[in-house]
Amino acid sequence: MRVDQQLRLDEQLLLFMDQLEALEEKRQRLNSLIEEGWFSIAKARYSMGNKQVSALQYASEMEPLVYVETSVLEGGTAEFKCERKENETEELKNNTIEDIGAKETGLRKRINTKQKGVKEEEQETDPQVKTKAESSTPEHRDPLKWFGILVPQNLKQAQSSFKEVITLSAEIASLQSTILATRKELQAQMKEKTQPERKKE
Amino acid sequence: MPGRGKLIAVIGDEDTCTGFLLGGIGELNKNRKPNFLVVEKDTSIAEIEETFKSFLARSDIGIILINQFIAEMIRHAIDAHMESIPAVLEIPSKEHPYDASKDSILRRAKGMFSAEDFR
Repeated sequence: MRVDQQLRLDEQLLLFMDQLEALEEKRQRLNSLIEEGWFSIAKARYSMGNKQVSALQYASEMEPLVYVETSVLEGGTAEFKCERKENETEELKNNTIEDIGAKETGLRKRINTKQKGVKEEEQETDPQVKTKAESSTPEHRDPLKWFGILVPQNLKQAQSSFKEVITLSAEIASLQSTILATRKELQAQMKEKTQPERKKE
Repeated sequence: MPGRGKLIAVIGDEDTCTGFLLGGIGELNKNRKPNFLVVEKDTSIAEIEETFKSFLARSDIGIILINQFIAEMIRHAIDAHMESIPAVLEIPSKEHPYDASKDSILRRAKGMFSAEDFR
């Protein structure tokens, strides 16, 4: 039984080290992405002006576009999964397809300003999303729009860097939780290992 | 929105908050308190701690991102937080690069080993 215990302990230790290494890698990626984001913001600030890229630009009403699904597993570890609010645009598209007609040309110019936080959306379907979006959910704006209609590429780059950071944060949070759980288990097993020895003494 | 998952909160300097808000995590409306705090030179430690504790108390926040230098100011509050949700993630700031030896989570993970254990 002792050999069994020791093998388990070794396995746990190796797992722990692997997890730490994975955390280290993800952290480095996170840190460099954040730094890239800051550089892009600074460049955008340089081209747009100091006051144009600051907390003053924040909207007075915001709705989150990213959510994190949390779940607690058996061992007490928490798992985090990042989810971006992109599905709603798809639903709206289906609802409003019949509505549009003559309005299309008039609204065409305003499409991009009220687009939801989804860059991949095709231009043609935008007018349809637009009318519904305007009437029911005017808050669903791409935060990029707070800084103006024509924002420099740098700001968009900053946004995509931070979007990746957010996804990575969820992964790191899960990993941190797993690491703490592994550590607890290791400690418990170490105690188990030392206690029977003391009993023999 | 209820039942749609939790929010990500951020406590950081202006650029950090701007970045994350650009990423789309911000919530601000008349009824509810914001899920972010922009820390400036004149922000008091008490205010930071109060905001941090209020984020912990909220059931709709899953992750709290905080600049490490701010985390240092309220280290005692962060160390006292033992639950797995919300998770606290320390991120670097422009003037203070990330230091793994200061991270609460890593300190807890490191503290377990001693020479005795390997006999």
